[in-house]
Amino acid sequence: MDNTLLVALSRQTALQRALEVTANNIANINTTGFKADGVVFEEHLSERARDNRFALGDRRVSFVADRATWHNFRQGAVQPTGNPLDVAISGDGFLVVQTPRGERYTRNGALQISATGELVNPEGYPVLGDGGPITLQTQDRNITIAPDGTVSVSGGLRGRLRIVEFPQRERLQKDATSSFAAPDGVQPQPATRSRLVQGAVETSNVEGVIEISRMIEITRAYTTLSQLTLAQSDMRRSAIERLADVPA
Amino acid sequence: MRALHTAATGMIAQEVNVQVISNNIANMRTTGYKRQRAEFQDLLYEHVRRAGSQTSEQGNMLPAGVEIGAGVKTVGTPRVMTQGNLLPTGKDFDVAIRGEGFFRIQLPDGSFAYTRDGSFEMDAQGRIVTNQGYVVQPGITIPQNATQITINSEGRVSVMLPGNTTPTQLGQIELSMFINKAGLQAIGDNLFVETTASGTPQNGTPGVDGFGNLQQGNLEQANVEAVTEISDLIAAQRAYEMNAKVINAADQMLQATANVMR
Repeated sequence: MDNTLLVALSRQTALQRALEVTANNIANINTTGFKADGVVFEEHLSERARDNRFALGDRRVSFVADRATWHNFRQGAVQPTGNPLDVAISGDGFLVVQTPRGERYTRNGALQISATGELVNPEGYPVLGDGGPITLQTQDRNITIAPDGTVSVSGGLRGRLRIVEFPQRERLQKDATSSFAAPDGVQPQPATRSRLVQGAVETSNVEGVIEISRMIEITRAYTTLSQLTLAQSDMRRSAIERLADVPA
Repeated sequence: MRALHTAATGMIAQEVNVQVISNNIANMRTTGYKRQRAEFQDLLYEHVRRAGSQTSEQGNMLPAGVEIGAGVKTVGTPRVMTQGNLLPTGKDFDVAIRGEGFFRIQLPDGSFAYTRDGSFEMDAQGRIVTNQGYVVQPGITIPQNATQITINSEGRVSVMLPGNTTPTQLGQIELSMFINKAGLQAIGDNLFVETTASGTPQNGTPGVDGFGNLQQGNLEQANVEAVTEISDLIAAQRAYEMNAKVINAADQMLQATANVMR
């Protein structure tokens, strides 16, 4: 009898998490270089009852568990900004950011220059080139970033932005600030199929229509389950009333 | 229900975005204005089930975990320091910078501010000043009876004095450059002041060592593009609405739960 309640509860808990993921996607619909998340549910079977003497046998009860979230690495739109320090990555590559927690990988190419002339991300952490951070001089003009990441100014080369790709991209973990961390065993490889587009940024790949329809689906499923719980509660109440109704 | 708060961060972020866009549009015709762009990043993630954790004694691992994000934050509103178009005005004291650099202006408290707005005037003492009456550095005084004021591309100010047949040179306007001009702090009146992020100014003469040229009789227009701003505004507004819908959805779910009890 309790199974109805518990199955409904397992699904509702999973749906709440799914709504949280959708809410986070929608909150980041304008975040440069953001990659949307999705939820994977799985059926979680309870053990079969030991007793086989029932006429119809015992049926398994399946619960729901949210097994994983996955990152949708589809390319976001390339939005021209006209700012020479903005780069969008076309392809599967990532820029490498040096943070106090270690190297992080990002698709957010809205670069800036720090007080010491280093190319940094919006948080102020250096974006790495082949040989460490790339430093510009005060007089440097006409900054050009070539498709292969070469940073040049009128009168010289300043370095080459490191672009990396991951053979197992789906194993990257989100680390906030629009960046990803590589877990143990996932090694960045020099990019071969990625190139940079200067003067543009990659917009978030969250699609409003999909997220909103997913959200409606979640809300409806949740409400239906609440109805189910309600029906179950009513059944139980009437059962108690009938059974406790001692004939006089 | 965390989705409520997540959506709230989204709405706050879009509010900031609309504020930045509206300020850009309001300053579309402001001389020397540089547009800003709101930059966002996602907030922390909670790892409910961490990828790579073991699922059996045999060493099987979760290939993907459950990561739930907590929304979005505004990380900065950097200025886009690209060149604005030059608008010919024909006025002697209108000077535009074509290229890198800022005019250095002395504020009444003795400190310096920097601007790309070259719509200068002459004050009662004959000094070249900004619209607010602050002296453009280095202070150049123009004699009362001077005519034909010219400011050449290197910033040299020369005039014709009565009785002379050749122009007299009075001084040279200086420019300042910063390694990170996007890190300058705006203080209003088209002025910027240096910060630790911008680095210290490097002063020099126009047209030399990477400094831009001056163009007399021109003003630099704002680098705001109407089309970009309006399309950004539409995107921001829609994003705001969608976040509001999420709050609505979370509310409906909570209501459904509350209705189970009766």
